Amino acid sequence: MSDQVATAAKPAPILSRHDPRYEVTMYRYVGVEGAHTLDFYRSHGGYEAARKALTSMTPAQVIDEVKASGLRGRGGAGFPTGVKWSFMAPPDGKPRYLVCNADESEPGSFKDRYIMEDDPHQLVEGMIIGAYAMQMTFGFLYVRGEYYLGTTRMEAAIAEARAAGLLGKNILGSDFSFDITVHRGAGAYICGEETALMNSLEGLRANPRLKPPFPAAAGMYGRPTTINNVTSLTSSVHIINRGAAWFASMGTDDSKGTKLYQISGPVARTGVYEMPMGATFRELIYDFAGGPTMEPKAFIPGGSSTPMFPWEDRFLDMPMDYGTLAKNGSMLGTGGVIVIPRDKCIVDALYNLVRFYAHESCGKCTPCREGVGHWLPRMYQKLVSGLGRPEDVALLESVASNIKGNAFCPLADACIGPVQASLKWFRDEYEYLAANGKSKYAKNDWWQA
Amino acid sequence: MKVRVNDVELDLAPGTSAIDAVFAAGGDVPYFCSQEYMSPIGACRMCLAQVGAPRKERDGSWVMDEATGQPKIFWFPNLMATCTTQVMEGMVIDTLSERVKTAQNGMVEFTLINHPLDCPVCDKGGACELQDRSYEFGDGLSRFQFDKRHNEKHHPLSDLITLDRERCIQCKRCVRYFEEVPGDEVLDFIERTAHTYIGTADPGLPSNFTGNIADICPVGALLDASSRFRGRNWEYDHTRTTSMDDATGAAIIVDARTGRIERIKAALNPDVNKTWIDDGTRFGHEYADSPDRLTTPLIRRQGKLEPATWDEATAFIAERLKGLSGKDVGIAIRSDSTLEEGVAAMALAEELGTGQLDHAPRPAATLIGNQVATITDLATADAILVVGDLTEEAGVLDLRVKDALKGVTPPTLMPHGVPIADLRLKEHMPRQREILTVAAPYRVDLMRHAGATVRYPAGGEAAFFRALGKLAADANALLGEADEAAAGMSTGQARALVARLAAAKRGVIVLGGLALNRRESAEAARALVKAVGAKELAVGPMANSYGLELLGVLPSHERYGYAGMLDGAKALVLSHLDPAQDGEVAERLRGKDLLVVHDIFMTETAHLADVVLPAASVYERDGTVVNLEGRFLPVRAAPVDAGSSTDLTGVARALGEAMGKRLEGRSVRSARRVLKKRFDIDFAELPDHGLLPRAKSRGPVKALAGEVAAGTGNVLVVPSMARAEYLSRNRHLAAAVGGNRLRVNPEDAVKHNLTGGAEVRLKVGGTWRQAVVHVTDGVPRGLMTIPSLPEQPVGLAQADLAGIVVEQVRLEVAS
Ligand SMILES: Cc1cc2nc3c(=O)[nH]c(=O)nc-3n(C[C@H](O)[C@H](O)[C@H](O)COP(=O)(O)O)c2cc1C
Ligand code: SF4
Ligand code: SF4
Ligand code: FES
Repeated sequence: MSDQVATAAKPAPILSRHDPRYEVTMYRYVGVEGAHTLDFYRSHGGYEAARKALTSMTPAQVIDEVKASGLRGRGGAGFPTGVKWSFMAPPDGKPRYLVCNADESEPGSFKDRYIMEDDPHQLVEGMIIGAYAMQMTFGFLYVRGEYYLGTTRMEAAIAEARAAGLLGKNILGSDFSFDITVHRGAGAYICGEETALMNSLEGLRANPRLKPPFPAAAGMYGRPTTINNVTSLTSSVHIINRGAAWFASMGTDDSKGTKLYQISGPVARTGVYEMPMGATFRELIYDFAGGPTMEPKAFIPGGSSTPMFPWEDRFLDMPMDYGTLAKNGSMLGTGGVIVIPRDKCIVDALYNLVRFYAHESCGKCTPCREGVGHWLPRMYQKLVSGLGRPEDVALLESVASNIKGNAFCPLADACIGPVQASLKWFRDEYEYLAANGKSKYAKNDWWQA
Repeated sequence: MKVRVNDVELDLAPGTSAIDAVFAAGGDVPYFCSQEYMSPIGACRMCLAQVGAPRKERDGSWVMDEATGQPKIFWFPNLMATCTTQVMEGMVIDTLSERVKTAQNGMVEFTLINHPLDCPVCDKGGACELQDRSYEFGDGLSRFQFDKRHNEKHHPLSDLITLDRERCIQCKRCVRYFEEVPGDEVLDFIERTAHTYIGTADPGLPSNFTGNIADICPVGALLDASSRFRGRNWEYDHTRTTSMDDATGAAIIVDARTGRIERIKAALNPDVNKTWIDDGTRFGHEYADSPDRLTTPLIRRQGKLEPATWDEATAFIAERLKGLSGKDVGIAIRSDSTLEEGVAAMALAEELGTGQLDHAPRPAATLIGNQVATITDLATADAILVVGDLTEEAGVLDLRVKDALKGVTPPTLMPHGVPIADLRLKEHMPRQREILTVAAPYRVDLMRHAGATVRYPAGGEAAFFRALGKLAADANALLGEADEAAAGMSTGQARALVARLAAAKRGVIVLGGLALNRRESAEAARALVKAVGAKELAVGPMANSYGLELLGVLPSHERYGYAGMLDGAKALVLSHLDPAQDGEVAERLRGKDLLVVHDIFMTETAHLADVVLPAASVYERDGTVVNLEGRFLPVRAAPVDAGSSTDLTGVARALGEAMGKRLEGRSVRSARRVLKKRFDIDFAELPDHGLLPRAKSRGPVKALAGEVAAGTGNVLVVPSMARAEYLSRNRHLAAAVGGNRLRVNPEDAVKHNLTGGAEVRLKVGGTWRQAVVHVTDGVPRGLMTIPSLPEQPVGLAQADLAGIVVEQVRLEVAS
């Protein structure tokens, strides 16, 4: 019972953006004219966290601070960032790399983009902090190929920072040296998977690599490497600035701090919202995005690879954190919520999604290359064009289950999870379509190939 | 480590893969992407199994299962690819459950949806992993109702390899092979998802080791272009034997059908070539099936060579020999004759009472040094110095040097053989280039992989080794400017190399033909070997150079050697040697009382002969060779139809009979009785992978100079994987390597008015050579290179550059 007393004595964690204690940090200057310049960034407290880390903290202290904050990787898998940083072997005088993953290609995810376009120095600062903590000798920023403005803004910011002594030799007068190279991807979703990303950076074909060895042991060019998402790194800026306790004061048991949630689909105000972890889908969808503009039937909780939920209170009221979603058979992923309206056939919606994964399969492993890449899209095409037969639904299910869990990397399951979830919640739509040759709902041109 | 596979308990070394655990337990899972000696990648997903392991409590004790009282097994939620899973203490692997069967069946189904299933017209049919595994693990019917992917079915990757892009199952073996084994990254996947296919950026596969991909392709996607559509697998006679193409003794399988060789494949010898051979070995056999092969003896009657029976031919020879004193007769056999043939030659020499006996080509220095390394020594060396062009001279050694660069020791063999998935191997492994130094007078391929390279002036091997020797004796010594120039290195470079060799625990110095063809360079090299405490591998010019020297097929005195007998002997018996290519020698041969030629073609010398005896090619002999590390290896005859041709033991029998003698080497069996006494080895029972006797049993070695190369010249005769003497009859190989290349520096090309691709004739020494001009900055100004012949061994030679005849000008494709 003493536990409860202790808990009661602590202030309640911040769980909502309506909590008066809450303030926006990472997206504070996104959308502000001229915020991408070094002058603006510095005059708004920029690079103070880096200065603090480099001049008054040891690398180990920085890692401990990030560990204590409870920050979990924002790239999708949610691995505790401080723990990941602590996996790096001590420096041995040879190269070691920090890679920032800005490939952001998952449908429904677009949070990293605006940081790079509007507040690029925040990411530079985050990379400096991460690099200092792990004593990295060099950094790579891997930007999604389509992010042209983001790439130019990042390149300009890096050049400005270098000119100002914030990158390069002896940063801020310390004995820490570090620099960043920007690499623009060529438009493959798989390049967001960290080992495929390293292959791509090395000039190799972007196939995922076998793990182990994990990147921390042998990553880029066989050297110790850590890969972090853009917002994992930018979160660290504010953790160092305000302290781990501030970050940990927000969120649920297993998910701390703030996170950038994205919402798309038929809602009044699509976009990116920074919220404390643990806020509910309802808060995001109704309070911030202004609610659906069409009658909804389902939502995808965290980017296209996360299994969907039907539009029911029990799901809308779930806190958006890692544990709750996992417990309910889905994932928080990148926090990209997609609303699906009632009057669009779910099979159509899934065909659109399956086509994406079929196009993006890297081709390395058999079930994904042949199953996701070739068979599934054809089965969907057959169904949506009205040529399906009743037994096709069971066949689809069987093929999906042969893929599930058997592929080399998570991409195949990223396709199969949503397929299976759609079958679980909306099997009637599949059956209707297969039996009648046409959907319950009117044809629409939303997802034309 | 204790592991349980289904119901079999095993104790395995840590690091073993789960798939090897399964096979070690006598179990089976299908696999397509894993391949012996290459990195496991987990791509085909055929080898899935259900895997579990016990867990430990914080205090180190096992978490127990209350029901059984045993450590509780925690199953991985997903099926695991066993090829990429390492065994753990107490691991349990289940390959028989319904769940595993469903998955295997599912993977077969996925693999087949885009496979054309054209097995009835596929060369791989009957020996296809996909075919076999689909029968064993598939359902036998497809639920896929859509169009299969269509793609090119006859894509020539090179002149040697044809790719069927529809049959490819994307296992990546071929792509990984090039990066991991020869280190020539010439092939990759193009496109992605279900469109993924194999291809090259530029046409062709620039590597000496391309054919191996046809062996390892699990389906009929990559095929040996020289044997495509020539037979079904069950029609071939497979003869496992040893390659006689170079001194390494690689294991091969000769596939013959209706009396002709259709193809050669690599076989496994873990201590020699693993499962890899070079393209010269694989594709260099077409000459054996040439329509102009000699099939009956010929006797000169009224100035003309006419067909005769063996009895007539040997009676003719015996009759002529009667009129000669035994010591007037010279007998020379080519250095790829078997030990058994060597015995026959020795018996004949003894019977005739002549000391004029030799094997040729034979370098100036002995091949049997005091510290002979094994090939495994080379593959596990921590410092390597190579002098010469290993890639061309002894391809297997080139590949084994590359093993050493990976720093992964050869795997321990398991009950089922070579581990299927050696988890120590990875794609794109960092290579320890710094351990390798390559030296040659021109740019050789292995230099691309070396930490340090030296290009010394042609003929400068002795100066090169002496410079190193000087620094080995005194680390502070300085090389003068002249010495540095002669050795092709600065003092600092030489010092660093010597320091590395001296510091190494397992240093190996590889001496190519260039280092052995002059006594002083070989002596300087061996002094260095001794001074730095390394071992040496001397690359003999031919397959049995080591063996014939060891056996003692040697003259009684230096002046009775091969060169001497061409001059001095009144009668000559020559086996597979063609000295008359040299016009001056031809003149001398015309004056002989008796010239007997044992060969497979009407060579220049055969045209001058009194008797021509049809010989068995290297593929048609039973016998034994000794490779460059001193390993005795079995050679077995493939069922090839070559008329009444026979090897030297057959000649000894027939000739002996005509002379009324039963010579010791009159058959392979009789020769082996002699060999058994000499080496105490049962040659009939020699294992496939050969036998490496202890060093001491080698017996005394006669120190006799063989062919001594000139110290100067304007052309460097160099080793070539594609043997020049047969290249014109090896159609596919000739196309792939671009003919016999006369390599010329761009400035010299201008000076001598030569254009790349031109077909020329030039006189090198006394021999007219055909060649194709290849302009490259890989050779220095003032030096050209041309491939060696058995009669024109590696080393400097003088060519008549002013008299080069351009026969045809061709456009050369840039390479
Ligand atoms: C198919 C696939 C695509 C991915 N795409 C991205 C991406 O675009 N951006 C990203 O940060 N992480 C992506 N990830 C996750 C990364 O592999 C990796 O876990 C992440 O970058 C680690 O950073 P974090 O620890 O900071 O989250 C992807 C993973 C998979 C399997
Ligand atoms: S699941 Fe397999 S084919 Fe698909 S992206 Fe991953 S590795 Fe490539
Ligand atoms: S060509 Fe053969 S070896 Fe190469 S990937 Fe295809 S199936 Fe595998
Ligand atoms: S995944 Fe291909 S053998 Fe294991």
